[in-house]
Order: sequence, then structure tokens, then C-alpha cells
Amino acid sequence: MMRRYKTWLMAFLAAVLLLGMGTACGRRGNATLTVGVYSGSYWGTPTGDCYQILDETIARFEAEHPGVNVEYVSGISADAYSEWLAQQILKGTEPDVYFVFPEDFNLLASSGALENLDGPMASDPAFDSAAYYEPCLHTGVFNGSQYALPYESVPTMMFVNKTLLEKCGIAVPDNTWTWEDFYSICAQVTDVEKHQFGVYGYTWLDALNANGAALFSEDGGSCDLAGENVQEAIRFVQRLNELNDGYTVTSKDFDLGGVAFRPFLFSEYRAYQPYPWRVKKYSGFEWDCICMPAGTHGSNTSELRTMLLGVSSRSRNKELAWEFAKLLSFDETTQQKLYAYSHGISPLRDVAEDDQMLSQLRGDIPGGSSFSRDVVSSIMQTAVTAPKFDGYEQALNMAQSAVTQVMTSNDALNSRLLAAQREINIYLSKS
Amino acid sequence: MENEKRLNDIAVVMAVLNLAVILYYCLICVVTTYRLCDSFGAYDFLASVRRLPRYPWLMPAQAVSLYLLLSLLIHGKSRREIYSLRDRLLVCIAEILLCVGVIASLNFYYSGVALLVLADLVHYVQRNRVRLCFMVILIFIFAFSKFEIVSLVSAPVAFSDYLGYYDQFARGFFTGIESILVSGNVLLFVFYMILLFTGERAEKERIRKLNQQLNDANIQLKDYAVKLERMTEIRERNRLAREIHDTLGHTLTGIIMGADAALALFSAAPEESQKRLQIIAQSAREGLTDVRRSIKALRPDALEQRSLAEALEKLVENFRLTTGIEITYEQLAGDLAFAPDEDDTVYRVIQEGMTNAVRHGHATRIEIKLTRQENLLTVDVRDNGLGCEQVEDGFGLRHMKERLALLGGALTCGNRWDTPEDCHRGFFVTANIPVREKEGGLPT
Repeated sequence: MMRRYKTWLMAFLAAVLLLGMGTACGRRGNATLTVGVYSGSYWGTPTGDCYQILDETIARFEAEHPGVNVEYVSGISADAYSEWLAQQILKGTEPDVYFVFPEDFNLLASSGALENLDGPMASDPAFDSAAYYEPCLHTGVFNGSQYALPYESVPTMMFVNKTLLEKCGIAVPDNTWTWEDFYSICAQVTDVEKHQFGVYGYTWLDALNANGAALFSEDGGSCDLAGENVQEAIRFVQRLNELNDGYTVTSKDFDLGGVAFRPFLFSEYRAYQPYPWRVKKYSGFEWDCICMPAGTHGSNTSELRTMLLGVSSRSRNKELAWEFAKLLSFDETTQQKLYAYSHGISPLRDVAEDDQMLSQLRGDIPGGSSFSRDVVSSIMQTAVTAPKFDGYEQALNMAQSAVTQVMTSNDALNSRLLAAQREINIYLSKS
Repeated sequence: MENEKRLNDIAVVMAVLNLAVILYYCLICVVTTYRLCDSFGAYDFLASVRRLPRYPWLMPAQAVSLYLLLSLLIHGKSRREIYSLRDRLLVCIAEILLCVGVIASLNFYYSGVALLVLADLVHYVQRNRVRLCFMVILIFIFAFSKFEIVSLVSAPVAFSDYLGYYDQFARGFFTGIESILVSGNVLLFVFYMILLFTGERAEKERIRKLNQQLNDANIQLKDYAVKLERMTEIRERNRLAREIHDTLGHTLTGIIMGADAALALFSAAPEESQKRLQIIAQSAREGLTDVRRSIKALRPDALEQRSLAEALEKLVENFRLTTGIEITYEQLAGDLAFAPDEDDTVYRVIQEGMTNAVRHGHATRIEIKLTRQENLLTVDVRDNGLGCEQVEDGFGLRHMKERLALLGGALTCGNRWDTPEDCHRGFFVTANIPVREKEGGLPT
């Protein structure tokens, strides 16, 4: 009786073992790599074939790795992509390699959905992290470790209404302009009677970046809302707003040609400058884009947003996934295609500063442009990225509402900001 | 027996209840996951928990299969008797490991399975120290396998996060079901333990009483045996007296009377006296035949019916069968054709030797060897029993020596090995018998 019992147990264990080995071997024999990708453009600009780069890269990857099949689900719009990805993670069916929006990176890295790439980055001899612009690569860092590779970067630039400036007899400022230039032009342009305004959409956060100030410490441990440079930035935006005599400028005012400046993403510039988009978007005026103005304690710094590529921490083919992510992010051939099919700047130094690429960039834009190798290089190297730590969104919201209150109520700036800063610091120490 | 059945029933209910709890947690987690996805709440959920949820199919697959394996083990263990102590211990440890596996695969939401295993092991394990050890381990598992404690170290998604998806009513409903199931399990466990311990106490009392009865019966039996022995002795004495009186008495009386008559007639009628003496001699011969018949009647039955060789085989076989002792019997003495008194002696020596080995030596193995050199027959009986500190001639040994002395033989006996006290020293008995040629025996 006992012997039969033991035989059954052994048979059961053997069956489990065989099944496990079978599935393991089955997977190894014919590996399938899945990629999570969105359709359309994350930057809100119209694109042609959004899967072109991916398709070509997959073809190259499959040729290099025989027996590997790369698949992706098409048709997930950029708006629905974050939710789709979260659903896949919940269901446990997330792709091996997926694109990570900059605003989702914090969540995905902190929840452990992304694989820590420090290991493969260090051990892969073909990989060199120095090839990237530092701010781009830094976007994919969480708690001191790299969790995603940069794929495509888009800095914030200042749109200039050339027609309006010409009408007022003002020259378009160069790429090294300062707050003082900015303020004086706005003051000259603003005429509430004529419905003419200096700037639309320049927030205290833009001013903060320009003034070399950081709202939060790198690790998210403390907030510096009442800092000298921060207060200066807030005061500068307050001064700009005061020019409008209480009128709130809207995006419609800009579209109609009544506003001189507006911070915009570089991708918009790339998308709408070439014909026929340039006529369609803003028909009433000529426009160009330049660097953001430099604050008194900062430089012409813009905020950089970078599309990232992550490897799933639960991927069964991590090595292949890393290879594929590398082929998308680190390979110059792939990255050069960004200029043909997308509207961002390559995070790779050699691609972004390549003469051919730069001339292609300038060729898109009629009437010449100020984009030289130096400008691109300085924008990309000095750009700042939003910090990443647990509770960042909430802390930023708290700071936003405090600053909005201060700006509208004209209260004593310092004490109100100190109070808010204390509150945020308490929140940060708890989270 | 009835108590045992009731315990078994409670264990079955507990097992079913635990399965229900496990299914409840799995169902909530899986269904909520898919409902979250269907209602486009996945991103918000992920943002609120900030943890990577496990594969939704993993929890039901792991928890249910491990639990079924655990139930199979509990069930199989009670059905089949496992004799090896090591195997029993291994089964218990496997049960505890499976229990931890089930709890871990449920993200530590529920640790009541530990109570089920605890109830089972307390019932199964009889040794107090091992039982206490298992109890401590399982109570520790039950107390510390809580999500709140585990989440300090690792970070699974909390069960309350899944419940957070539902509205207040549904949440209350689910929590209600959960607490009913969980507390039901605890109640059943308490009930089981109470029943188990009261049952055990009653069982101990019953065993004590039975033991007392057995002791009384044993004493009575001993008394009875002594009485029986005495009665047998008296009966045998009477029979011997009768036998002597009937045969020897009768013949001797006839001889005395005949001899007296012959003496009286010797001078007067010598011829008559010679005739009488011839009759006396005839009568004495007949008397001897009678005596021999009487002696024959007192011989062992076995020798009466068969030859010595057959009788010895039978004796050894019977002894082996009745005592279950391992006996090796080597007959190397060739043809066993001896005189009846020699037959008797050989038979008695072997019989007595085996009886002593069991009675005094508690031996488990006996070796018997019969060898013969010329006219010297050697009977050797060896055992692996306790032996004895000092050889004291009991009735049996003395009797053997007397028998051998009559035949001109000798007996040696003693311990086989010189080992320290309380160890098995073994005992041997060697009898040397000078056998006569068949023709030279008693005249037939």
C-alpha cells in the first residue's frame, strides 16, 4: 500500500519536473519578444507612419537574431497608452520592452515594473553611456539606478511671433538673451487696448529653470520653495503678468497673432514649420523659435522631456529585451531615422550634432534657422529634467497651489512660501 | 472511537472552510484585477498601490494546487500507517512547508491554514516533545505570517487595495464574508483542540483501568500455575507409587515367597527346590519386563512414537514455532541409533537447553550441534541470551548432570563471551556422552 503511495508521489513529481522543463525548453527554442508601443506622437504633433522606425528596427533585429520573433500590438493611441500599459502590468502580460512616457517613469520604476539596467549597461562592452547627453540619460534614473534608456528628447523652446516684433520694430533676440531682454520686449509689445501682449504660458516653473533653481533636492528629501532664486523667479513672472493689467492671456490670443512669445515644445516647431503645416497652423504671422531666456542666476536652460525605453522586470527574455532596447536607443542608424519620422532630437551626441542631421533639420525650415551645432549641444547639455521620487506629483501640486495663491493674493511672499515649504517638507518626510 | 470520528468530521469541515477562504481571496484578487482593466482604472490603481502586482493567475494556481497537495498529504497520512519514525517526521515537515507555501502564495493575506495543520499534527504526533516543537512553530507561523508584518520587508499589493475598488456596500459585504470565514476557522480549531484533549484524557483513564485488570489477572494466573504444578506432581507420585506397587511389589513378593519355599525345600527335596528356583528366575525375568514396560510408559511421548532423529527434528520445529526463535540445528553425528536411556538423555539435554535459553537467557537465537567421535557423542546447545553472572545449578541443570552421570558422561556449561554486565553474554551447554554399541545396551 505504502509502496504504491510512494510510486504515485514520485510519478507526480516527475510529471511536474517534465512539464517545467518542457515549457522552459519550448520557450528557449523559439523566443518571442514583445514590444509596447503607442501610435501617433506623444508630443501631440501629427506624424506619418508612426511604426516605421520600429518596423525597420524589428526587421534588422530579427535578421541579427535568427529564431527570435518580435511582436507588438498596434493601434494604441498615445492618450490611452499609459492605461493600456498599466492594464497589461496588472494582468501580467506586459511587453518585454516598452516605451515609457516621462511622466509614467517614476511610477513604473518605483513599483518595480522596470528592470534595473545598471547590470547590462556595465557588462555590455558594446554599450557606452557617455554617448548620450547627460540630461537625457538622467531622465531614466531612479534612486541612483538606470531603469530606462532615452529614446527621443524634446526641449522646451520659446516661440517668437516674428511678424508682431517686426511691426513693433524689434529685432528677434538671439539664443543668449536674458530676462531683462525678455521683459523689455514684453513691455514694449504689450498694449492692452490693441490686444497685444508679451507672453503666453510662461510659468514660474519655466522661470525657475532659467534662474538655475531647483524646487526639490535630487533625492526628494526636501523642498526649497522659499529659496532666493525661486522667489526671484516667482517675482519675475509676477512682473510679467502685471504688464497685462489684469487681463488673462489665452492661447487663442497667441493663435490670432496678438502675443509675442510662447514656450512650446521643440517637436511642435519641427512639426509645424515645414509646408503645408506652417500655413495651416498659424496663417496670420511668421514665427520662429529660440532658446529660453536666461535668468539673473541661470543660463538659457530649457526643460527637457525624454521618451524612454524600459525592459520589463518580469521579462523571460531579458537579454534579448536589452539587446532590442539598445538597438532602438543606442544604435545610430535607428536614431538617425528620428529626424525623418519623428519630431524629437536624438539623445545620442553623435547623431544630434551630426552635420547631415543638422542640415536636414535646417532644410525643413524655410528662411533659415538659428540651429547650429553649438545651439543644439548647449540646449541638450544644460537642459534640466523633472525630478523623480515617490510623491513628486503631490509635492509639486502643493507647491503649485501655494505659488498660485501667493501670486493672486499679493501677500507677503517670503512668509507664505516658508509656510508652504514647511508643509511640503513634512509631506516629503512622510512619503 | 466515536470521539475519533467526530474529530475527523471537524477536520474535514476545517479543510473545506480553508479551501473556501483561499478561493475567496483568489477570486477577489483576480476578478478585481480584470474589472479594474475593464473600467480603465488600471493606471490609477497602479499609481495608488505603487507596487508590482503578481501575475493574476499565479495566486489561484499556486495557492489552490499547494493547498490540494497539503490536503492530500493530511488525508493520505491518516489513511496509511507509516512505521518509520524518520518518515513520519519528514511527512510532518513537508506538511509545515506546504502550509507556509500556501500562505506565501496568498500574499500573506490569510494564515489560518496554519491552524488546520496545527490541529492535524497535534492529533498525529504522539511524542510530547515533538508535538510541542511543532505547536510552537505553527503558532509562530500563524501569528507572524500577516500581511502587515511581511509588507515591512517585501512589498506585495495589500488586499485592502483590491477591496478599495468597490463601493462601500460591496466592501462591507466582502469584509463581512471574510471575517465570518476566518473566525469560523478559528472557532473550529478551538473546538477541535478541546475535543482532542478531553478525548485523550478519557483514553488514558481507560488504559490505566485495563492495565490494572490485566495485572490482577496475571497474579491469579501465576497462583493457578503453582497449584497446577503441585497437583501434577502429586498425581505423578501416586502413579509412580501405583506402578511400583503393582509391578515391582508384586514380582518381588512372589520372588521372596518362592525363595523362602526353595530354602525350606533345599535339603529335603533339592530337585523340587531347583524347580522352584527356576520358577523364581522366570518370575524375576517377567518382573524385569514389567519394570521395563513401566519405564517405557514414563518415557517422553515423542521418543515413544518415533526415532530419536525424527523426535529431535520435531522438538526443534515445535519449539521454533511456539517461541518464534531462530534455531539452527546441525546433526553431524551420523546415524542416531542409541539405547533408549541414551536417547532419553540426548532428548532431555536439548529440550532443557532450549528451555533454559528462552526462560533465563531471553535469547533470540539458538544453535544446536550434534557431533560424534568414535563412541563419544557431543551435544552442544548455544544461545545469544543474557547468560548469567554465576552459574548456579538449578533443578534442570542438576537433573541433566545426574542423567549424564548415569551414562558415564559429563556436562559443561557457562557464558559464551566475557562481556561487561548487562550485555548479552550468551550461554552454552555441552554434554559428552559415551554411547554404547547398540548390541551392548540393555538386553532386549
